[in-house]
Amino acid sequence: MASTPTNTASATPDTGSPISTGLLIHLGAVAPDVLEPTLSNLAAAFPNQSVLVAAPDIPSLNSTQFPTLNLLPYTPAAPTATNWVLTAADYLNSYKLAEEHKASACLLLGTGAHTMEPESIRNLAYATLSSSTDLVVSHYHTGAREGLVNSAVLYPLTRALFCARPRFPQAIDLGLSPRMAERLATVAQRFTASNQDDALIWPVSEASVAGFAIDEVDIPTRIFPQPAATDLNALFTQILGSLFTEIDTRASFWQRMRSIVPPRNIAPAPVPTEQLDVTSMLESFHLAYSNLHEIWALVLPPHTLLGLKRLSVMPQESFRMADNLWARIVYDFVLAYRLRTINRGHLLGALTPLYLAWVASHLILIQSGVASERHIEDVALAFETDKPYLVSRWRWPDRFNP
Amino acid sequence: MWQQVELALSQSAHRALVTLANFLPGLLALLLAVIILTVIGALLAALFKRLLTAIRFDERLSRNSVVPLDWAPSHSPTLLVARAIFWANVILGFLIGISAFDAAYAGNSQMSFFLLPYLTHSVGAILLFIAGTLLARYLARTVLIEAVNARLQYARFLSVGVKWLVLVLTAATVLDHLEIGGTVVDLAFGILFGGIVLTLALAVGLGSRDIVSRSLEKNVDTETFPPDPAYKPPTTSETLRHF
Repeated sequence: MASTPTNTASATPDTGSPISTGLLIHLGAVAPDVLEPTLSNLAAAFPNQSVLVAAPDIPSLNSTQFPTLNLLPYTPAAPTATNWVLTAADYLNSYKLAEEHKASACLLLGTGAHTMEPESIRNLAYATLSSSTDLVVSHYHTGAREGLVNSAVLYPLTRALFCARPRFPQAIDLGLSPRMAERLATVAQRFTASNQDDALIWPVSEASVAGFAIDEVDIPTRIFPQPAATDLNALFTQILGSLFTEIDTRASFWQRMRSIVPPRNIAPAPVPTEQLDVTSMLESFHLAYSNLHEIWALVLPPHTLLGLKRLSVMPQESFRMADNLWARIVYDFVLAYRLRTINRGHLLGALTPLYLAWVASHLILIQSGVASERHIEDVALAFETDKPYLVSRWRWPDRFNP
Repeated sequence: MWQQVELALSQSAHRALVTLANFLPGLLALLLAVIILTVIGALLAALFKRLLTAIRFDERLSRNSVVPLDWAPSHSPTLLVARAIFWANVILGFLIGISAFDAAYAGNSQMSFFLLPYLTHSVGAILLFIAGTLLARYLARTVLIEAVNARLQYARFLSVGVKWLVLVLTAATVLDHLEIGGTVVDLAFGILFGGIVLTLALAVGLGSRDIVSRSLEKNVDTETFPPDPAYKPPTTSETLRHF
């Protein structure tokens, strides 16, 4: 449930001297040119409160400029080269800083934190400081064309398997309670010990497995850092490979989970006026259908292949990938990843054209007037409905193959 | 005369029996070496499997992006290591056995002089053939998937071409290793390999004609052309953000 705290600025007593909240704000990576705007933003978010702000290798600033901010320049225990997503190094550094300064809660803000509204940062902090919550995840208000991998795979899979509500399981702005930070650091240390500082960690699944309370906070505006690599295959290998491995590792947990996440309230959205060109994505799918059919046949059951055959002959205007077809495709790829039916790099490469077909279908649908979030909720619901299919195939991959 | 025939037969039978008597200990040594090393291999494989499972070897390897993802697609890295250890031991058993066989045979027959080197070459050739076939399949799939994702219309052709390149190279290496064919193999390999490369180059060149022309067109100064009022800039998917 998205928490919407009241205006915390008015709720905070103005005593003149800053009040210590015990909050540590860890800025993952800040470019020197945006350091000052970022700190101004934080100072505006906490006008009467003293907060610790840690950032790697920040230059010494005039302390009178931001009197409420207690700056902590530090040298990261584990360096990271990735700045568009939170990595194992970020979680480990956060925990070490929080432990060192005995922080009562930790706010981990990703690259581009200066583009967030001060009120959003404050809401995130207050939700984190509330005693009942261990993990506070940002809920970004992205456009219909943004964060498509999240909408197509990460969110529906996390919601269906881990019964967790957060719309952005890999949000780059998080609030962590001390025990959550410790748990994530323990997982992160396994990676950093083997020099995998840029490995991804899934905080939502960690919190679900640990039985920790998860909350969401609305972040209406934010500019997201984009990955340097534009190769979708390489990014799929990094992100989806990590998620599929996490699913494999947590199999004993999610097979037992039966609860259904209550549906979200979706506000009606205006129909996009700009014309959407999906031709290249559909061409990609058609080319893949004629070339990768043999590889797909190793992964997908006949029923799904039949669905793809129907999809391949659909005209562009009415191109629509059914939600349950997409759910089954993803589930079958998760299973093939586990069983190593084919090389894992090849497997994720073979998923790319199918994902592009889903994107094309999604864009055509929202062009027809369906709200983007409505469709994403329907997809998530289809994943939840078809979860028994994954569980059955996971347990009896040879016996249960429709 | 009958006595001479009888003598020749008895001498022949004696020689055959002596040869067999010399042959059997070598064969027994070969079998014994293979069986013992197979048992040791099975034990070592089980030990390593348990050890690697305990240290979560698969998990570590799959999370490490630097290490290429599993070459043996249908088996986990742990299983692959265990099997490699097992088969390495079996092969070692064969080598020791053959060596013992050779030692038992050396002074008595010319057969080992020709047969044994050929046998060891055959083992090498079989390994080369298996490795080449696996590599061909792996590269063919890699090229096919990458080419499809790069939207190359001739993806399958490219994939088949790469597959046959590797297979031809493997076949030539295997024949060369077995010392079969001599210069004929070199010549045939040169012709076939060159032919496939030329065919692929032509196919890629002709297939990429449109891409090259579009690339060149982009470099032409567009201001030299009068603007078309009816022209609408194509909406592209460039504004899409997958992450």
